[in-house]
Amino acid sequence: MGHRCPAIIGVGRTRFGEHYEKAPEKMVEEAGLTALDSAGIERKNLDACYFSDYFLQITNKIGIEEGFLSELLELHVHMEKMRSFSSALLNACFAVQSGRHDLVLVGGVEKMTDRWDKIRDDLMLLEDPWSYYAGCTPEANHELMLREYVRKHKISGESLNKFYIALAQISVKNHYHAMNNEYAQFQREVSVDKVLKERSKARKPLGLYDFAPISDGSAALILASPKMAKAHADSPIHIVGYCAATDYVTFPSRENRTGFIANKIAMENALKMSKIKVSDIQLAELYDQSTLLEMIALEDLGFSKKGKAWLDIYNSCKDYKGFYEVDGKKLFVNTNGGLKADGNPLGATGGAQIFEIVKQLKGEAGDRQVNADETPQHGCVLELEGFGTKAYVHILSRG
Amino acid sequence: MSSEPIERRVSYIGDRLRGSRCGICSKEYFRSKDYCGKCGRKSFGKMEDIDFFYEKGTLEVCTLVNRPTNRFTKFGPYIYGIVAFHNGKIRVPCRLTDLILNNKEIEFSSLEGRNVVPRFRRRYAVKQSEIIPTISLAFTFADEYYPHQKYEVTKPKKEYETPGIVGYGVYVSKFRIKERAMERSIPFMDEDAITAAVEAGKMALIHSGIDSSLVGKVYVGSESNPYAVKPIASKVAQVLKLGEEEKIDGLQGVDAVDTEFACKAATSMFKDATSLVYYPGVSTTYAMVIGTDNSQAAPREEPGGELDLFVGYGGSAFIFGMQDIIAEVEGWYSCTSDTPDFWRRALEPYPRHGGRFTGEPAYFKHVVKACRKLMAKLNLQPSDVNYFISHQPNVGFPIKVAKELGFKEEQYMLGLKVSKFGNTYSGASPIGLAAVLDKAKSNERIILVSYGSGAGSDAYSLITTSQVEEKKGRQKFTVQHQIENEHIEFVDYNTYRKFKLGL
Repeated sequence: MGHRCPAIIGVGRTRFGEHYEKAPEKMVEEAGLTALDSAGIERKNLDACYFSDYFLQITNKIGIEEGFLSELLELHVHMEKMRSFSSALLNACFAVQSGRHDLVLVGGVEKMTDRWDKIRDDLMLLEDPWSYYAGCTPEANHELMLREYVRKHKISGESLNKFYIALAQISVKNHYHAMNNEYAQFQREVSVDKVLKERSKARKPLGLYDFAPISDGSAALILASPKMAKAHADSPIHIVGYCAATDYVTFPSRENRTGFIANKIAMENALKMSKIKVSDIQLAELYDQSTLLEMIALEDLGFSKKGKAWLDIYNSCKDYKGFYEVDGKKLFVNTNGGLKADGNPLGATGGAQIFEIVKQLKGEAGDRQVNADETPQHGCVLELEGFGTKAYVHILSRG
Repeated sequence: MSSEPIERRVSYIGDRLRGSRCGICSKEYFRSKDYCGKCGRKSFGKMEDIDFFYEKGTLEVCTLVNRPTNRFTKFGPYIYGIVAFHNGKIRVPCRLTDLILNNKEIEFSSLEGRNVVPRFRRRYAVKQSEIIPTISLAFTFADEYYPHQKYEVTKPKKEYETPGIVGYGVYVSKFRIKERAMERSIPFMDEDAITAAVEAGKMALIHSGIDSSLVGKVYVGSESNPYAVKPIASKVAQVLKLGEEEKIDGLQGVDAVDTEFACKAATSMFKDATSLVYYPGVSTTYAMVIGTDNSQAAPREEPGGELDLFVGYGGSAFIFGMQDIIAEVEGWYSCTSDTPDFWRRALEPYPRHGGRFTGEPAYFKHVVKACRKLMAKLNLQPSDVNYFISHQPNVGFPIKVAKELGFKEEQYMLGLKVSKFGNTYSGASPIGLAAVLDKAKSNERIILVSYGSGAGSDAYSLITTSQVEEKKGRQKFTVQHQIENEHIEFVDYNTYRKFKLGL
């Protein structure tokens, strides 16, 4: 199957965090060069560039990003700008699989800290203007979803305590993973107590350590047609399934507010395309914009049963061995530290997720290489735009 | 940065909470839609306009926002959530307003499931130079200060020969400050003269039960319009859908105008409204007069600061017409002189008091003159009058003037509300009138004398009809309710100044 699919032959990224001294172009250059280097190809061989940033136009007042990229690469090929890395990759996959392009650079960047003071207003307005007008914040919808989830699944008493601890464990686990990720924004451990303390300080169900930070960063990869992959790479990673799905921008208008329908649809279609089952997947990079969203994704994507993901997490994290145990199977989630600890520079986030799966599948993840019974065959990446308004799933396979 | 077209579109939908219902499957949408997502093209032309302005919703889920976005920072912590209307057929985002949270512990589940009503408020803070954004996605609990009331249009029963008041409404905020013997109403952070005007007008429509499309003119009297140029009346007309709605163009077939004459800006227009609905050949079925003020006062240590002990916040609205009237307008008299007792120059934030003219010859001369002239004209003795109401900048002046005119306590006390609300400027004597009408029986005579600095007075004689009693049950939000409600919240001086300044 893999040999007919687009293949990733090189990846690169910057460290995520605050990079006030670097212009966006500088960061793209760093990630792009690493990707080209690791693929061992020359930029003049590129047929196209698919690029992503969520709101560089607002944060940095940069209009035609492709022009900057053209100057960087001194190339005049077709370039296109999307909102998320997964979106850029998805479109690159379409282009490669259609046979139109053989070698494509996919890159993404975000410089959120350049607009530190207004970033939350921007994020909320872009996410859902009518909720913004009513006073919504980037955190509030997560908390509403949490409350609706708890109510729907009738979680109370001791279970509710465990539920809250399970969410805290997600943060603890992701920070733990990031300890071995030299690119991560936060390479330090946190404890369940600390997560809980921040929540009580905020007087809310979710606190500082439940949410992904604001970050700068860039990521890039080289996507190749099967023919070019064979020529340039010994062990390319194939993208065997990819799909996107869309939901209403206004969260309150959605029928189901205890999960994301877009997650579910994207995953189902990606699995169908890849001809593998969800149980075949041992590696997952899930979009943990909050701890809640990692938990929700486990259910939406079909790893955990509805209403039970928190229990899977709780049981796996009591004595954490580096993976969730779901249905007696090992599932390695967010081994790079997730958005929470690795960082979340929107347009580049998906690139770091793909980077991680590629490294793990190739067995090049160093200290954070997953300790599976055998090297995992498949990994999947879930990336979102907005609060579940768009979901992108990519399924990557070795060999 | 503010964009007029964006502001216009957001306000048009958000102020009235406009939506659509599919005529085929009855699916509902917040925000108007030309076709139903479920039924597709066959629903084109079959969508009905709906709105949630007078509806009661349920707060389904909520959370605390204590780190708001920049534009909401001035609110301090607040509750944000989702409100469902029509048993969940529609859901909208919501901010609970009129709540001072500070560090209070909040159990969200004690709020969830409760009924809420939309309130027309300022949306969030913007720069002083920008368009003031408004929205009705602010809610309060229906079982608290502001009850849910349906707006039901009733067919008029009777045509009168003399024009008069058809219905009225008063809006005073739930927050108060208590100093010395006086309680005064103060706006919440997101309130101003515009929001009080709309709320009062809404109350008047509910009370009168008239069809809002039959209102041909609306006057809004105020001296605290947050705009120097831009009428409050246009907002009132659009939000309350006064006059025939021309939906395609998004406009209302109504004349709307703001008036200004210190505290008599509204009462002055009572006679214009009365005359307008009486004018033969032109069918102006109803005219609405609103008096609204977030009464201005400099901080008490600054020049003009003596007002800081007296100012209130609120609005009143009266609808005039010839059908189903509760009080006929028997007659009027007005007088004016160029007496500079109180003024505010353009671009100055607060009015000033000379001090020299305030009582005599400003207030007393004009009120006494207007009242005596009117009574002489109608050949009335104080004993012919059941209730006397005058402008009430404080407690002393109206009592003194009532006594001077020969009125007794039982005649003037019912309409004297300044000790409960403070001086609501343009709304002051009309709120007194509303308090009297709330209690009046049929065939009673009411004398109302306003006073506006600068200076002038309008005196009116009104005679109640039997319908004054019949319509009483239609208004839960009476003046008495707004004085006695258990959810009234008292705040300290600093909070009062902060709230008054607003967003």
